[in-house]
Amino acid sequence: MMARCPWYIAGPLLGMVIVGLRAAVNKPLGALGGYIDVVDHGTRPSQLGFSAFLLLGIVLGGALFANLTGTFSPTWVYSTGLPLNGSWQLAAVLGAGLAMGIGARTAGGCTSGHGLCGVSLGSAASAVSTITFFMTAVALAHAFSWVLGWTS
Amino acid sequence: MDVVRVKLTGLLAGAIFGFVISWARLTDPAVIRNMLLLREAHVFLIMGSAIAVAAIGVRLLRIASVTSLITREPIGWSVQQPERRHVVGSVIFGAGWSVLGTCPGPLAAMIGEGKLSGLIVGAGLLAGVAVQPVLKRQRTVERPRVELSGAVGL
Repeated sequence: MMARCPWYIAGPLLGMVIVGLRAAVNKPLGALGGYIDVVDHGTRPSQLGFSAFLLLGIVLGGALFANLTGTFSPTWVYSTGLPLNGSWQLAAVLGAGLAMGIGARTAGGCTSGHGLCGVSLGSAASAVSTITFFMTAVALAHAFSWVLGWTS
Repeated sequence: MDVVRVKLTGLLAGAIFGFVISWARLTDPAVIRNMLLLREAHVFLIMGSAIAVAAIGVRLLRIASVTSLITREPIGWSVQQPERRHVVGSVIFGAGWSVLGTCPGPLAAMIGEGKLSGLIVGAGLLAGVAVQPVLKRQRTVERPRVELSGAVGL
């Protein structure tokens, strides 16, 4: 298995993707747009645009990595780290996914669109969004950890 | 054709993005949880250095006033001012993020890695993205009614 990519390589590479997209097509990077594109045009694949292809590319990139490193091993297990079992765990996963979709579309971006791309472009809206979701998630993670004995 | 080349550029950029996300183990919810519990700086350093490189790179492109290679337009962008929806939406998003230890980008790479449970998260995420405009419409319709009942209450 390939060792974890050090931050000083991973970070600049992700930054270069943002610069590359700007240089090639003058478009921002963000994963959320792909999900919106799929919801809006999923029934007619020919209408899927740049955002959906970007998202599909991310899936392929993950698949390529797993194949190169021989770590491709399909699994249906998903742990939230919360002390829940069976159908409650499933409900938590689905509910949190739902919240992420509603929240991200309301805010107009996610960790990549606001957090990486928007902030680098100097968008105040992205900076406010990023500070807000980081503060919320850090506070909730600590609350889960203290109250429920949440572990990673 | 131009449209096809734009889509292929998206596909390629996404593939590099997804590969690096997987390589940096951002697809592992435990890594995200350790970051949120402020136990390690790795993810913060990745995001910080990505932002620094992107911020400098896109500004150099703009200063050089070059046109984009494929779409042949002057390179530039507009930025938004913060509104209430950015805060409200990001609180809801952050709550989901903390429970899952993943967000829309890493989720896609995770599914590519064969962690099929990510499809359950993806189903919830797509449902949320689909239902958000409906919720928003209802809120805008309901708002005047709420104000009216408030006025009657006074």
